[in-house]
Amino acid sequence: MHHLVGRLSALDPEASETLRIVSYFDVLITRGAGLDGLLRGAAVLSGTVAGAEVRGRVSRRDPDGHPVTAAGETRRSPEMSHGDWTVWLERDGEPGPHDAMIVERLALGVELIEGRRRPEGGFEVVIDPARPVAERVTHLARHRLDPATPVRILATAADTAETGAPSAIVPTRYGLLRATLDVFGKLDPPEPVGFGTWVRADRAPESWDAAIIALRLTDESVPAVDATELGAMLLLAQAYDPQHPHEDVRALAGLDARSAEVLRTLVEADSIRSAAVALGMHHSTVQARHEALTHTLGYDPRTNAGRMRYIAAALLQRLTAPAAPAPAGPA
Amino acid sequence: MSSSVSRPPFDPELEAVLAVLADRIPPTMTAEMIPGMRQAAPAEVTDEMLKASGLTRRDVAVPGHLGDEITVSVIAREDRQGLGPGIYHTHGGGMVSGDRFSGLAQALPWVVEHDAVLVTVDYRLAPEYPDPYPVEDCYAGLVWTAEHAREIGMDPDRLLIAGQSAGGGLAAGTALMARDRQGPDLIGQVLMYPMLDDRDRTVSSAQFDGVGVWDRGSNVMGWTALLGERRGTDDVSVYAAPARATDLTGLPPAFIDCGSAEVFRDEDVAYATALWHAGVQAELHIWPGGFHGFDLTAPHTALAHAMTAARNAWVARTLGA
Repeated sequence: MHHLVGRLSALDPEASETLRIVSYFDVLITRGAGLDGLLRGAAVLSGTVAGAEVRGRVSRRDPDGHPVTAAGETRRSPEMSHGDWTVWLERDGEPGPHDAMIVERLALGVELIEGRRRPEGGFEVVIDPARPVAERVTHLARHRLDPATPVRILATAADTAETGAPSAIVPTRYGLLRATLDVFGKLDPPEPVGFGTWVRADRAPESWDAAIIALRLTDESVPAVDATELGAMLLLAQAYDPQHPHEDVRALAGLDARSAEVLRTLVEADSIRSAAVALGMHHSTVQARHEALTHTLGYDPRTNAGRMRYIAAALLQRLTAPAAPAPAGPA
Repeated sequence: MSSSVSRPPFDPELEAVLAVLADRIPPTMTAEMIPGMRQAAPAEVTDEMLKASGLTRRDVAVPGHLGDEITVSVIAREDRQGLGPGIYHTHGGGMVSGDRFSGLAQALPWVVEHDAVLVTVDYRLAPEYPDPYPVEDCYAGLVWTAEHAREIGMDPDRLLIAGQSAGGGLAAGTALMARDRQGPDLIGQVLMYPMLDDRDRTVSSAQFDGVGVWDRGSNVMGWTALLGERRGTDDVSVYAAPARATDLTGLPPAFIDCGSAEVFRDEDVAYATALWHAGVQAELHIWPGGFHGFDLTAPHTALAHAMTAARNAWVARTLGA
């Protein structure tokens, strides 16, 4: 019956399975699925009944997605609560390998739905470009912020802990991310983190957009990126639609790992000779790779214009790669 | 690129399933993938599942096209008595894969609910057995079923044909044959997201190219396996591609369902319309944001529940339960 679970459990690497759970909930939440959809997802992914109690009302779904009304609820494990809601899986025996993560993602989704319902609204209003300025200014006032106050927004993984500053989990084109308001520039956020540009508080959506881009540009060696440091490249990144990659980006994406490394070295090195030394390859071999790459790319990556195209394409490629949410740590 | 084409979005729950299964179910199936498709055997019904539903299975070798032997399974309740309504099932798999147990889970509740007798046929597959083998095998199995109806506990006057995807197309083709060859008589045809048109000329086909499940490229592959160089030419029978039929009068009442986010949408809507034009009763459901076969791939979703409920209700009315 449970093809999805069957296929999920047939997968080999543990890491990729957790990624699948994350993407399942990310799509549900980003596409605005309701509580029942979240519960059906949790039930089918865990293979057991998933439940929620929201403002006093209990809903339960079995792995076939059907409502469970019968009494005889088994042990709630794991269970997560926050304010006016509780979510859980129902397990008597051994916990499933991903139970904790499934409940965590379920909780995230329910909190997003509930956050929108609360009369005071969530912090997400402040960074939502679709909201009228007047509405954003009203919300800023609740945080005792003047529209002209300089602020910036920070982007971190959705499951990172709150820092105490106003914060919300927001669906983005790269999945769910946590947005946090920074007024004094003194927050110590968990990494990886993208810092948005400093803007007037009533233009916070621009800073959030920059923060998302900055977060995408982090990696293990550079776990914090400040969008301000991108300079004019930020404009390029903001104008870019990851759904429609430029030809130069496609060309880079088509290279195998070794060719990509040779190319990067060619761009960075002072000469073909020094590139050959850095790569541990023969000079004439590097020369030949250089010519082949020039042909593949359609430009010479060692001219000034070619370097510029390469650097721009390499930047945009990192904004294009399929969303890979960071593995969940303890919340 | 396909990304510049506008198309109905997938239902949120179904899109989540697609995101998870993206690398398991590539949008485009190619001829090279046929052996893999045959091994994967999606949505297979096993003997344990039959037993759990209180059903028994008996395999019978019956004459297929040109008298060659093919296998059918007769499935009924363990406690069945007297004569029950009949269901003749033609499985899916793009004309190139699947067997008589593929997708059968959709029809088993009808057997349980209505104490029906179900016959499901292992028609021979393209490209090894191109057209007309698949549809002629299906028709031959139907003839055997009608001739042996009483023997297997089936009321020959209450026989329904049902199939999904390629099997939906074969069910429609078999129903056309049964009309033109004066029997067997059918009281209805359940065409689940049927594959009806080899000509690849609809908007929905262009919309789902490289995206979703069983996209345009897969569909062209399936039809090419079935028809070879005849695909898209004038040399294709209405039994192979029922969308080409210009006379649909005298067909049994039809139930047709399909997703709005799949290749078959437009040809399935057109077939329902053509049936109405010909004075044939038909019920049509297009489920918003559904990809091909979502009730089998994502049976836990709200849209799959709704699709199954509507279909089961039609079957219940037709079998006169």
